[in-house]
Amino acid sequence: MYRTFISLKWKEFRRSSYFEAALAIKILMILGIIYFGGIAIFFGAIGYKLLQKLIPEVDPLLTVNQFLIYWILFDLGLRYFIQQMPVMNIKPLMIIPIKRQKVVKFLLLKTSTSFFNILPLLFFIPFSIALLVEGYHPLYVLGWFAGIVSLIFMNNYVVYLINKTNLYFAIIVGGAIIMLALQNYAIFDITEYAYIFFHGMYTKPVWVFIPLSLCVLAYYANYKYYLNHFYIDGAVSKKEEKVRALDLKFIDHLGKVAPFLKNDIKMIVRNARPKQVLLMSFLFLFYGLIFYTQEVYRDMPAFLAFASMFVTGGFLLSFGQLVPSWDSEYYKLMMSQNIPYREYLTSKLALMVFATVVSTVLSLPYLYFGWDIYKMILAGASFNIGLNSFITLYGGALNRVPMELNVKAKAFQNTNGFNLTQMLISIPKIAGPMIIFYIPYKLISFDAGIIILALSGIIGLIFYNPFLNLIERIYQNQKYKTIAAFAEKK
Amino acid sequence: MITINNISKSYNGVEVLNIDSIDIPKGQNFGLVGNNGAGKTTLFSLLLDLIQPTTGQISSGDIVVSETEDWKPYTSAFIDESFLIGYLTPEEYFYFIGDLRGVDKPEIDSFLSDFADFFHDEILDKKKYLRDLSKGNQKKVGIVAALIGNPEVVILDEPFANLDPTTQIRLKGILKDITEQKQTTVLISSHDLMHVTDVCKRIVVLEKGEVVKDITTTPETLKELEEYFSQ
Repeated sequence: MYRTFISLKWKEFRRSSYFEAALAIKILMILGIIYFGGIAIFFGAIGYKLLQKLIPEVDPLLTVNQFLIYWILFDLGLRYFIQQMPVMNIKPLMIIPIKRQKVVKFLLLKTSTSFFNILPLLFFIPFSIALLVEGYHPLYVLGWFAGIVSLIFMNNYVVYLINKTNLYFAIIVGGAIIMLALQNYAIFDITEYAYIFFHGMYTKPVWVFIPLSLCVLAYYANYKYYLNHFYIDGAVSKKEEKVRALDLKFIDHLGKVAPFLKNDIKMIVRNARPKQVLLMSFLFLFYGLIFYTQEVYRDMPAFLAFASMFVTGGFLLSFGQLVPSWDSEYYKLMMSQNIPYREYLTSKLALMVFATVVSTVLSLPYLYFGWDIYKMILAGASFNIGLNSFITLYGGALNRVPMELNVKAKAFQNTNGFNLTQMLISIPKIAGPMIIFYIPYKLISFDAGIIILALSGIIGLIFYNPFLNLIERIYQNQKYKTIAAFAEKK
Repeated sequence: MITINNISKSYNGVEVLNIDSIDIPKGQNFGLVGNNGAGKTTLFSLLLDLIQPTTGQISSGDIVVSETEDWKPYTSAFIDESFLIGYLTPEEYFYFIGDLRGVDKPEIDSFLSDFADFFHDEILDKKKYLRDLSKGNQKKVGIVAALIGNPEVVILDEPFANLDPTTQIRLKGILKDITEQKQTTVLISSHDLMHVTDVCKRIVVLEKGEVVKDITTTPETLKELEEYFSQ
């Protein structure tokens, strides 16, 4: 029986959009997997030596054990965001004479092959081997490794229990932030305590039974839940949501754009995928932390210019590149109605500009890194509003990927929207601010670079109409292609 | 009102539609019947310029639909769920279509009150998104939205499918009304021969993309069609 299931799953996998996708996308996907897998294996293998070098006075295993608690929370948070139980697939199996226990068990086992379980294994296996090579006791290392594996799978099952409401996500993220803050200000250091447990898995292998039983418990809770809700009005059903009423009357003053703008706002707040993009754009705000805190980049302001563009451009980039895919579910309606492309595009543009302005305000804390950095963020925002918005919309117009609005994107699914044109289009997005800043910076001064970058945004204002006309023309010329592409089911 | 001229559509060399000429005068209630794959939806998609014809052209009024978009203000359609916006409530959807067709909110409200019977209390004020409505209720919303703003041409693909018997009968009344009063040209397709002969003044039968019958409806039409399809 399991063989039939496995063959079904194999077909599902083989015939999924990943494999049906164009060759270029396939190569990119494989490169992506090799990249992430490679990084994990690499750091797993040299992790021990690296830690030894960085913190010579402490046993590297101790350091790892100290920070495992954060890794577990981070892993859970990430899974919460992306991992979903593939319940809808079992609908056709419900009336077939197969024991439901078997179906549920298979479903749960199948989730263990998720990329989120394999990736940490790719790190911890070489790391454990490194431990053995360094002369740690094989039996204890084995115990510790078994504990880690249990924790990975515990997370795998726990996420299905808690991803029913956003409350737990807030608790996890909030908890992690509070712990980090307390630790940073040396008030309370959670790692001191967490470490007792994680290191305990090494020193007293009996402790392994704690994560192991937690993992089994999480599995069993899932098993019970899905067995009891194995009905089309239970766990298998699509959830009906409560309507979020929005009072958007104030937008009516904006004239012809108003109906589109109202629709776009509703689209964003009422669908899973755009909400995901919204959250992602929020994370972009923290992008600067990576660059501004490193001494290395202080002397390479071109990279800082690039980072500054990213800080305020998160929403603009991730939302804009999927215009008009956002409207793919009802594109035929849009195309048979009397819809002026101009107003349609203006509405999207307005949202992108608005988000950039909000991000600029939210990035005020970067003043901590000095006025120069914030000037750069402001100049980046100007570039985003004036130029990047049009470049992104232009790229989006060439991107004909149908989208299921109310379904969360899976890991790597984002690459679906990827093709050669997209790649070419992303070059000016990334290199643009670097070059615009770097040339006057080298020739004149830092401030000249900032001013020129800020002024580049004005080009967008001057050429507002020709730019929009250009994008409009793509929409018109590609109309039939786009309709046909959007009509394809995923 | 609508002139179909020499139109054909092929996919990868396989012809799915080939019609020499059909002329639909203003105010006619036009029905299209045919088995699956006969080309009904293809013809409607061509009429709405959603696909490109391989040869020939379709004119609406005096406008060739694939050349300009000037036919859009007086044309409306409901082909399938991709004409609905899933994350809107029915009211929001009607207002949005109203905005596009230049009908303001109070006008929409009074327009909708005429359809209270048709909605049977299952559509309005239900605080549900369109994507959460049943197939039949979605169809009701789509059909009524297609009538907003007094369009001169209304195209409905399979309007009777998925509807309950009461609603089917009410829909027939509505379709007859709009052609009698407002000089609206209505084009519908259906698998239900009885409904089509009831509603339409003229019926065209398509088979494998070609017109095989073009009948002006008489009391004998139903029998004729039934005989044709039982061969």
